[in-house]
Amino acid sequence: MTDNFNRRNFLKLSGAMLAAGTAGCAAGVTGSALAGSQSAAVATGLKAALPKAKGPRLVVVGGGTSGLTIAKYAKKEYPKFDVVLVEKRDMYASCFNSNMWYAGLIDLEFLANHSFMDAAVENGYIYFNATVIGLDRASRTLVTNEGDIGYDFLVVAPGISYDYDKIGVSDVGAQVALRQKYPGGFTSPTEHVTLNRKIREFEGGTFVQTVPNGNYRCLPGPYERACMIASVFKKNKIKGKVLVLDANPEITIKAKGFHAAFDELFKGIVEWKPNSAVTGVDVDKRVIKTEFDSYSFDDAAIYANVRGSTLIEHLGLMDPASGQKEAAIDQIRYSLKGDDHVFVSGDSRPHPYSKSANTSNTEGKYVAKVLAARAQGKEIAWTSPRTVCYSMVNADPMEAISVDAGYVLNKEGTAVGGFSPDTKMFDNRDGAKGKAALEWARGIYRDLFAA
Amino acid sequence: MDRRGFVKLCTGTVLTAALSQSLRAQAEQIEACPSAKLVKADGSPLKASEIGLGEALVFAYPFNGVPCYLINLGNHTAHSQAMDSTDDGVYSNPPGVGKNNNLVAFIAICTHQLSYPTPEIAYLRYAHEGSELAGKPDRIICCAHGSIFDPAEGARVESGVAPAPLLPVALAYDAATDSLSATGIVGKAFIKRFFKNFKGELMERFGPGVYRQNVGETTKAIPLSQYSKDVPAC
Repeated sequence: MTDNFNRRNFLKLSGAMLAAGTAGCAAGVTGSALAGSQSAAVATGLKAALPKAKGPRLVVVGGGTSGLTIAKYAKKEYPKFDVVLVEKRDMYASCFNSNMWYAGLIDLEFLANHSFMDAAVENGYIYFNATVIGLDRASRTLVTNEGDIGYDFLVVAPGISYDYDKIGVSDVGAQVALRQKYPGGFTSPTEHVTLNRKIREFEGGTFVQTVPNGNYRCLPGPYERACMIASVFKKNKIKGKVLVLDANPEITIKAKGFHAAFDELFKGIVEWKPNSAVTGVDVDKRVIKTEFDSYSFDDAAIYANVRGSTLIEHLGLMDPASGQKEAAIDQIRYSLKGDDHVFVSGDSRPHPYSKSANTSNTEGKYVAKVLAARAQGKEIAWTSPRTVCYSMVNADPMEAISVDAGYVLNKEGTAVGGFSPDTKMFDNRDGAKGKAALEWARGIYRDLFAA
Repeated sequence: MDRRGFVKLCTGTVLTAALSQSLRAQAEQIEACPSAKLVKADGSPLKASEIGLGEALVFAYPFNGVPCYLINLGNHTAHSQAMDSTDDGVYSNPPGVGKNNNLVAFIAICTHQLSYPTPEIAYLRYAHEGSELAGKPDRIICCAHGSIFDPAEGARVESGVAPAPLLPVALAYDAATDSLSATGIVGKAFIKRFFKNFKGELMERFGPGVYRQNVGETTKAIPLSQYSKDVPAC
C-alpha cells in the first residue's frame, strides 16, 4: 500500500526537523568566528605535494557521499575545474547500509570494497590523503597535515559529530568512555565494527538503542537497527530484548511500518519507549537515565544528538545561532554568508533535509552545478534533492519499507520549508523492497566510485 | 548534430534503411549496428504477433553483455520525439514497429545508477499490470531508487531521480514473415560506461572480452521471468 504523505505527518516531521535544524539560521551572522576569515591554525607555508592547478582549483574536503558526488560532478559540469578531494581516511566504508551487516545480510566488503583512488582516476580529480587542520579564507588557503592547498573554491563536507552535552554527558572523560564503550554507530567505520561484534556476542539481557531528538543522521536508522538486532536475537534464540529509548513522542519516519514490525515480528523482543530522552549515562554501572526513569543495560548503542561536524566549528564556518551547530551558509546558494568561495554541503548543512545518503548524493549534483555556474559568474535556480531511503525491518526473510521524499522552499524562496507534496511513504514491508535496499546502496557506490 | 563526433559504435552506417523515408530525418542519430534477428529461446523465429502484453522480453544487443527489453505496448502507439541523454547527446527515439506500431525496445540499464537485469535478479522491470511504485500500468520501473519510465513515450522519465530516458533500440519489422530484427541503438558512450562499471561481473558471466562482442546474426528474446530468477515486484 502506498500512503501519500499526509499533512499531519508532514507538519509533525518537518516541525521537528525544522526546529532542530534551522534554529537561528535566518539570522545574520554576527559576533561569530565568521567575523574573521582565519581559523585557529594558520597557513604553514609548506605547500602540499600537488601539481600546479590547470584551471580554477576546487578543493573538496570530505570523501563521504556529499564530497565524492561533488568532486565527480563538478568536474563533469565544468571540466576546467582542477579538483582535489581531501580525505583523512585511507580506506572507505559507508555508514549507509551498515545496519544490514549486523544481521548478516551483507558483509563488510559490501560496505568497504570501494577505492578513493579509483573514484579519482575514473573521474579526473586528485585524491589527497590528508587531515584538515585550518583555513585561511583571506589568502584562500586550506591547511592540512600534509601542507597548504590554495583554492579558488572550497567545499567542506565533513558530515556530523555527536553532541553528548545534549544527553546530559558533559564531562569529557565520560564522553570519551561513552563514545568508545557504547558507540552510536552513525559516524565512523570503526564504530560499525565494534557494534557488529557486540551484537554477535550478545548472550542475553537488555540491549539499549537510543534515538535522539532533533534532525539526526538517518531518521529511520535507529529503528532499523533495533529490527536488525531483534532479528539476530530471534534467529539465535537469545533471551534478550532491544529497549528503544526514543526521545521523540512518535517514531520519526515510516512510523506505521516500524510499529508493524515491532508488533508483528518482534513482540517481546523490541520494547519501544517514546518520550524517553536520555538525560545521563553512568558508563561504569551501565545505567541510562531519562527524565523520569533509569534503565540498567547489558550492552548498548547510545546515539547522542547530532550536530554539524566539529570541523565546521574549528574552521569558523559554524552558525553560532544554529541549534545543531551547523554551517552558516545560504540555503539556496550553499556558500558561506559573506564568502562566495567557501561552501558547506552534506550533513553539516543547516537545511532541514533528512540526513540520508540519497539526499547528499542528489544534493551534491545540484551543488556541483552551483559551483560550475559560480566559476563562470552565473547563478542557477534551486532544485530539490530527493530522499529515497529503504529501511530493512526483517532479516529473515529480508523485508523493508521505504520513503520517497522531496522538498519545497518557503514562501520567500530563501530557505527549505518542508516536504514536497509528492512525498510518499511505503510502510508495507515486503521482500521486493528488501532486495531493492541492497541495490539502492550498490547504485550509490557506483555513482561515487566509478565513472 | 556534429557528425564528426559521432564515432561509429558498431560497423555499418547511420541507420536509415530499416526505417521509412518519412522518419529518416528524425532517426538519424540512431547508430546502425549489425542487424540481429530476434529468435525464441530454442532458436526458432520470434513472431511479432506472438509477443504478449504481460512482460518484457529480454534480448542482448548490440553486444552480448547489453540487455534490452522488447515491449508490446498493446493499444498504445509509440511515436518518435526529441530526447536528451546524459552520455550520448540529443536524439529522436524510433517509433514503434509492427502491424500496430506498438512494439518498442530499450537498453535495459537504468540511466541513473545503472541497475540492470541479470540471470539472478532484475531490479529494472516492465510492469504491465501496474505496481506500487509506478501507481499505474505499463511503466518500466527501477526498484533501486524508484525511477519510472514510460515506454510509450520513448521511455522518458515520468518520475524519480533518473536523469535521462532509457536508451532506445531500433527495430525493423518484416511484415512478410512477421519477424523482428534489432538494427541500431543510441548509447555508445553509455554502454562504454556500463562496461567500465561492471567489467568484473560481465567477465565472470560471459568470459573475458565476450561481453563486448557483437551478438551475431540472431539474438534470443526471453521473457524476463525466465531470464531472471528473481523479479522483485516493487
